[in-house]
Amino acid sequence: MSLDAARHTRGESLFVDDLPQPSGLLHGAVFSSPVAHGRLLSLDLDAAQKHAAVRRIFTAKDVPGENQIGAIIPDEPLFAEGHVHHIGQPLALVVATSPEAAREARDLIRAEIEELEPVVCPREAHRREQFIVPSRSLRLGDEAQLAEAFAKSATIVEGQTSTAGQEHLYLETQASMAVPLEGGRLRIYAGTQGPTAVQRVAARVLALPMSAIEVEVLRLGGAFGGKEDQATPWATFAALAAHCLEQPVKLVLQRSEDMLMTGKRHPYQSDWRLGLDQEGKILAYEATLFQNAGASADLSPAILERSLFHAANCYKIPNARITAHSCRTNLTPFTAFRGFGGPQGMFVIESALARAAEVLGVTKEHLQSINLLQSGDVTPYGQEMQGCVSRRSFEQTAQRFDLAGARRATVEFNAKNKRFKRGLATMPICFGISFTNKMMNQAGSLVHIYLDGSVQVASGAVEMGQGVTAKLRNIAAHTLGCDVNLISMAATSTTTVANTSPTAASAGADLNGMAVRIACTQLRERLDALERGLPWKELINHAHQERVHLSSAAHYATPNIHYDKDAEWGAPFAYHVYGSSITRVTVDCLLGTYKIDSVEIVHDAGKSLAPLIDRGQVEGGLAQGIGWLTVEDLAYSDDGRLLSHNLATYKAPDIYSAPVKIEVEFLEHDESPCAVLGSKGIGEPPLMYGIGAFFAIRDAARAFRPVERSGAEDLLCAPLTPERLLMYLHGNR
Amino acid sequence: MRLLELEINGDRLHVAAPPHWTLLEVLRYELGLTGTKQGCDKGDCGACTVLVDGKPQLSCLMLGSAAQGHAITTIEGLLPAHRAQGGAGADPVQDAFDRCGALQCGFCQPGMMLSAKALLSENPTPTSTDIKHALSGNLCRCTGYTQILEAALLAATKTEEVL
Ligand code: FES
Ligand code: FES
Repeated sequence: MSLDAARHTRGESLFVDDLPQPSGLLHGAVFSSPVAHGRLLSLDLDAAQKHAAVRRIFTAKDVPGENQIGAIIPDEPLFAEGHVHHIGQPLALVVATSPEAAREARDLIRAEIEELEPVVCPREAHRREQFIVPSRSLRLGDEAQLAEAFAKSATIVEGQTSTAGQEHLYLETQASMAVPLEGGRLRIYAGTQGPTAVQRVAARVLALPMSAIEVEVLRLGGAFGGKEDQATPWATFAALAAHCLEQPVKLVLQRSEDMLMTGKRHPYQSDWRLGLDQEGKILAYEATLFQNAGASADLSPAILERSLFHAANCYKIPNARITAHSCRTNLTPFTAFRGFGGPQGMFVIESALARAAEVLGVTKEHLQSINLLQSGDVTPYGQEMQGCVSRRSFEQTAQRFDLAGARRATVEFNAKNKRFKRGLATMPICFGISFTNKMMNQAGSLVHIYLDGSVQVASGAVEMGQGVTAKLRNIAAHTLGCDVNLISMAATSTTTVANTSPTAASAGADLNGMAVRIACTQLRERLDALERGLPWKELINHAHQERVHLSSAAHYATPNIHYDKDAEWGAPFAYHVYGSSITRVTVDCLLGTYKIDSVEIVHDAGKSLAPLIDRGQVEGGLAQGIGWLTVEDLAYSDDGRLLSHNLATYKAPDIYSAPVKIEVEFLEHDESPCAVLGSKGIGEPPLMYGIGAFFAIRDAARAFRPVERSGAEDLLCAPLTPERLLMYLHGNR
Repeated sequence: MRLLELEINGDRLHVAAPPHWTLLEVLRYELGLTGTKQGCDKGDCGACTVLVDGKPQLSCLMLGSAAQGHAITTIEGLLPAHRAQGGAGADPVQDAFDRCGALQCGFCQPGMMLSAKALLSENPTPTSTDIKHALSGNLCRCTGYTQILEAALLAATKTEEVL
């Protein structure tokens, strides 16, 4: 369980907004664009400025350095200037003596904007050639081979799918506090997954050296990717105001501000075509993905890349062409969210297989099972699979949870029942671990042993509930050979470990764990050179007498990963995570409502560093995946306005929507030599078991309204809310 | 500013706060009881749940002044109350949430645990359905709820032992 668990239960864990308020604390509120696309003619700050509690209002012209926060591409100003490109784009920061006064004054600001036509649909942006980055294609075999493979195919299916965005809904909203230190320095308590990103951007905006800015993160109240790049502007606003006013400034977003102004999971649309032989083996696959990137790049190019890499999921596809377009629209820039584009890519091939199974008159699980990857197979991005346990996990799931029996029971139930139909879907997954940007696959650590034998471990990893600090502590205790209770974890800070990658990509424990392990190994070796057999505390004392260095800093960089973007070929991942699930649902076909009866999973966690934490990651990821494709409905108006911008209009899974039964079994094997102590990254992959819920519901719906007789659409648009399901079941007759 | 007299976790406190402040704001920003969290400020997430005379109440929807004359329990008060009643170790609910891995980021937990606490004081032997009903107003984005349900069931068996 989380290292903080006991503290959490007593309400003692501190989040940014819980920190003791420094004297003279001021509060910020952000004024943002009310229109999705337009020319900014003027900004009337007069009334706001007259508000008694207001200290200062900042706009683009008050930025001492660069008005630019874009990380991958410099296309995102901190404050909009000249044009606005999405609703919720920041235009001004109001700083006042209380949060309510800041908001009151903010609401007095008027912007005069000449409205231009907004684009909200990625296909429309594609038609207008509005791209964030040049489009990319992965290929296995050349164009002629692909055409030949389609020509040889006994069955070809084609269609379109779409998946909607998803609000992160971290329970703690975005929050940061900046405190001026002596000599013009600043400390930022930031609610971010990437302290270095905040430090770098704040330095750029304030025209300060990075060394003048300390960023500290204690913990986050959930993040899921939503505090990777999207935490940066709020921390930077606080830093700007604190620096200019020489007073501490805090900025905490309210829920609806957060939902309106921060990015979410990318919506995708796609066209696909799949060719299979007589037995159902895949011969050829062609897909075009249209990523709705929103108004600026944010992390979209990297997310697009992962969509491409995971477009074949865990299937062997001999001939493929997968193209992806990152389409610029007038919505709030979409961003990282658990899975990072992978789930969107996987959903497409799963849709194609679901359709193919219907045409061939076989079950989807049959098609999945005969097309699984094996060690030695090559993916469309050129990586040769190693230690591939795709089949093993699928077979173990099928046996352990009696897949054949479950299918039989479903068919029997459906033959007997009219109003209620059951559905079943298996969902095998294969997810690559490593940042696809090679540079980011590095981490640092700093370990001190103090004279009384207690140990402090610092790393670049940010704790956001995923349990990384508990894992790092276990690694340190194991490596040093001391009692785990002697080890405390330092708050994540740019002053202890510098130039860190964000805690993301399921690689937090992998990368930082390795760095901690290396530092602790160095210390252990120094201790081993001394007398052996002393108890820990005496040993440390003795080492100090002998003038042994009891601190160690270490660095780790993932070896052997490479990718050639021009050739679109390489081995970008240190390893892959596998697993398989069976989801069973019951649909009330009169109402369109559904219940997830069970989800049974065999998941490949390698040698788990902390089984209880890993189980929590599987279940939590699964719940988010199910939510994304079923009840969570991010609704926009045609003019680019988010309609579901609070918890009353955006439905997130509550305790009632949880599957009635979840069983998680970890796959035991020793084929994971890649990550620390034989473990595997666990944050993101389980989310993709949620895809099974979509196809199980679809399975039940097709049993009620068979495709041949329906004349209905193909039912490959997510989320499959009860309303949409009802339309399918009874619409268009 | 208005002077309020509040009974919080068994202590009688006098505190000055703006008259329109919610109990949540008074707790967090005047009394420093930051264990009570704000997840939405609109009554939709349950993170701000406290006990008012033993019943769960969203503190973001209650004015500070309206809390006068009632006994308020926040997450910080669970352990002292448990000890005051002669209990050893942690409160059964706290202990169960800790042991079941029912917390990840911890942000929803104070509200979740107080909702569970209120249920168990009223109904020491709840079914899963009772628990779901009692916790349905508390959102958790991290856990997927399974371990929370297990924790509440475990707390129920422990509470029964104590009674
Ligand atoms: S903060 Fe009160 S219900 Fe969300
Ligand atoms: S543990 Fe993070 S919201 Fe529940």
